[in-house]
Amino acid sequence: MATPGFAGKILLVNLTTKQISSLDSAKYEAYGGGHGTAAAVFWDLCVAPGDWDLQDAFDPKNAVMLMTGPLSGTGLPFAARTSVSGLSPQCWPVNWFCHSNFGGCFAGMLKMAGWDGVVVIGKAESPVYINIVDDKVTLEDAKSLWGLTTWETQERIWQRSPARYGTEWQKFGDGYSLQWPAIVTIGPAGENMVRVASLVHGGGSGAGQGGFGGVFGSKNLKAIVVIGTGSIKVADPKELRIAREWWHTTWPRFTGLMRAETGVVGANCMACSRSCRNRNQIYGADSDNCAEATWYALAPPYQRTPTEVQWKSTDVAQKYGLNAMETCFMGPMSFKVTPDFPVQPELPAYTALGWYLKKMYDLGVVGPGKKVDTYPLPMDHYDRVEFAEVYAMAISKRIGIGNLLAEGTVRFAEKLGRLPGDFDTILRLTAWGYQDHWSMPGVEWAYGNLLDSRDINNHDVYRLLGPKKEVTCEEFVNIIASRTGAGGNPLWFDYSWKDEQAYKTGIYSEHKARFVAWRQHYATYYKESVLFCDWGFSNLYNDAGPGRKGYTPEAEPRFLKAVTGRNHSFADGMEIGRRAWSMKRAIFVMQGRHRDQEKFNGYIYRPGASFCAYANEKPIFNRSKWEWMNCRDLYLDDKGVEQWKTTYYKLEGWDPATGYPTRKTLENLGMKHVAAVLQSKNRLGSG
Amino acid sequence: MPGDKKTEIPKTKNRKYSRRDFVVGSGSVLAGGALAAYTPATAAAAEKSSYPLSSAYLVYDSRRCTGCLNCMLACSLVHDGATSTSLSRIQVSRAILTKYPHDMQIHVCRQCPEPMCVKNCPAGACYINAANANVRMIDAQKCIGCQTCLQSCPFIPHRTIWDHIANKASKCDLCADTPHFDKKGGPAGAQACVVTCPVGALKLVTELPDQRDNIGYDINIAPPAKAKPKAQPPAAAPAKG
Repeated sequence: MATPGFAGKILLVNLTTKQISSLDSAKYEAYGGGHGTAAAVFWDLCVAPGDWDLQDAFDPKNAVMLMTGPLSGTGLPFAARTSVSGLSPQCWPVNWFCHSNFGGCFAGMLKMAGWDGVVVIGKAESPVYINIVDDKVTLEDAKSLWGLTTWETQERIWQRSPARYGTEWQKFGDGYSLQWPAIVTIGPAGENMVRVASLVHGGGSGAGQGGFGGVFGSKNLKAIVVIGTGSIKVADPKELRIAREWWHTTWPRFTGLMRAETGVVGANCMACSRSCRNRNQIYGADSDNCAEATWYALAPPYQRTPTEVQWKSTDVAQKYGLNAMETCFMGPMSFKVTPDFPVQPELPAYTALGWYLKKMYDLGVVGPGKKVDTYPLPMDHYDRVEFAEVYAMAISKRIGIGNLLAEGTVRFAEKLGRLPGDFDTILRLTAWGYQDHWSMPGVEWAYGNLLDSRDINNHDVYRLLGPKKEVTCEEFVNIIASRTGAGGNPLWFDYSWKDEQAYKTGIYSEHKARFVAWRQHYATYYKESVLFCDWGFSNLYNDAGPGRKGYTPEAEPRFLKAVTGRNHSFADGMEIGRRAWSMKRAIFVMQGRHRDQEKFNGYIYRPGASFCAYANEKPIFNRSKWEWMNCRDLYLDDKGVEQWKTTYYKLEGWDPATGYPTRKTLENLGMKHVAAVLQSKNRLGSG
Repeated sequence: MPGDKKTEIPKTKNRKYSRRDFVVGSGSVLAGGALAAYTPATAAAAEKSSYPLSSAYLVYDSRRCTGCLNCMLACSLVHDGATSTSLSRIQVSRAILTKYPHDMQIHVCRQCPEPMCVKNCPAGACYINAANANVRMIDAQKCIGCQTCLQSCPFIPHRTIWDHIANKASKCDLCADTPHFDKKGGPAGAQACVVTCPVGALKLVTELPDQRDNIGYDINIAPPAKAKPKAQPPAAAPAKG
């Protein structure tokens, strides 16, 4: 009998052998569901057998895993994400084990079909899609879908299904439904194994980062389709509804339509209430309202791109199935640099592929007749939406320079021979080749990027830091420390970065190491495994809450208890996060991760590291008092970072000399089997 | 089986206007509920029926709905103790790649003046609950699973729900019989879908809605949306490359 909130089984599809089987979810519940469970499954299927070097994400041995969380489909807000995991072709220089997730209704529908997740290994002989109708799973021919866009693919599959408007209830398996099958698919980009190809569900619920679209393509897997007519058992239905109402009424800022008076009709993922999307204003319905909404949004020196043109362009990225964050042009935001900054008066928020390509063109590195020709891109028409369309097609179908661009920004720069030099200045990528996003001066985001395998994309702490009218800086850090639920200390939030204070209480201190550990454990469990959306969780400070306290750490365990019936505390969840995080660490180590590799790219160690940020005002503890200070000049020091790493590794129970987890750590977390494999490869930490 | 029904549905081809069209088109600021007066269609329906009218009706605003399915999950939760899109008595179907407002269809039980489900149930399981303001209900204990109520429902899709696991039918009772609801349900109480909807796209009205097509049920609950801004021309060439 599965724990309420879990369906009890995970679908395992081997596309090589066409074998369809299942895994027992209960075996993996200790990893929390979602990405945590995926890490444990990956260990069992791909690491433990020892017959693969874990280097190539396009190897048929790679597993691409779509997982639900225990709250999926149970009617809770911010809990509609579907986790995606596996080796990532986007990660550089190693295809690290990585994760992404997407919203919509896929996770809820998969759970109602009776599955906690789908694990796909192997490679089909010819294009297929996986069709899930409750417990009946088939591989369907997708040859006629190959080459279609993500939207065309979904429409075509719906035409094959009984789902219609204006008709009677349709029979799916033994049950009936009026829902349309939930589909996650790739476009031409994924088919051509573009390393920055996304998975798209609906109009634009996309899993972009990681390049899992390319992994689908490498397996000849066009889509996964699911319709569920079953039910999701809830341990305490009355409490679940009460808890939801409690949350809505106690923190009313997060309820209801965001744009009620603007004429925009919101659209939500399953059971959410934030209305991130809209029904009536995006050019193509449901395309999106997040990063990809500004995929083609030029900023000065160009005339700003009209909103409607941006929306049309967003549709282009969604249809081809491109990771918009990675391939965008410059985003809507640029930030001025200091006068001595080389060849660049302003830097865009993301030095992404579209922008970097133009920069290389302007510098004469690429162009017609050059060693790297820009065919078929009309570079002189960079400011027109037609350019964006050709650009997307060239990448997705690997035409001309598109074949290089399809490898992603970091590999494109490498091919041009621009590395590591550009890392010092205009190419702001994480150690593993992802757009920097907003990591600095919020160093906890930067540290997270370094320790994980991608831009961790955790806005929660970033967006709450900044001067508050209502409370003093000291009151603020005291509130958020009290809401961490795990012995939080106000000094966790000290961003002192100069002199000895940086080592004593600031960005190189044990306090910051403890905060980063808290954040990684929180994110690994509550966000990537339970699958709370980044836009809602964590919530340490809230203007609308009692005493301005956020709903962390109360809402998470209350929601989980109502659904699962397990009497887990917030701290119990953090321990699950620590376990899953260590499992990920063990996978990284098996792939070759070592302390020596975990170094930031050059710009982080130089003035200008914090150019591109909104939230520059950070709390600073000035030996005796707290104050808000502008940290635009903050950059990291190699000595400080190395000392911080030693402190952090020790806190996690990893060997500070290598970064490898120790036997004691793994066994205390119930992972004796992991320790045994690491030892057999001589990669077990000392101590 | 549900898909085998031959009953005709009310025709929609001759529809010339809707109440929403009237409200928006006239520029009126009247709330939808304010227009719930008896029209000839509702009066005729009421007079024709030999059954007592329900005192409450669930209505919705398909243009305000965000497609979150909260109503459906709440419905199955409070009735069945589990969430399910197939067991929900209110049905929201979203064709996510279709343009607004044609991307959403919502189906609720209309608490018909002349309830064919009640009229045709051979087991007496489908009945009018006088203790709950005459809401039309199905007694699960008496239901024999013959699906007559599904086939009798004059609307497509039928508003009676088939539970293929329990082999029984159910329908919207305005939460009168909700063993897993923490609130008092029913026409005089709360409805899980209404209290859960995050945007107020559902409400209970006490007057019999206009029975023509969906005119009386798909009403304008929200203020009329502002017009969408016109498309702007593409960006001009840059002043400097």
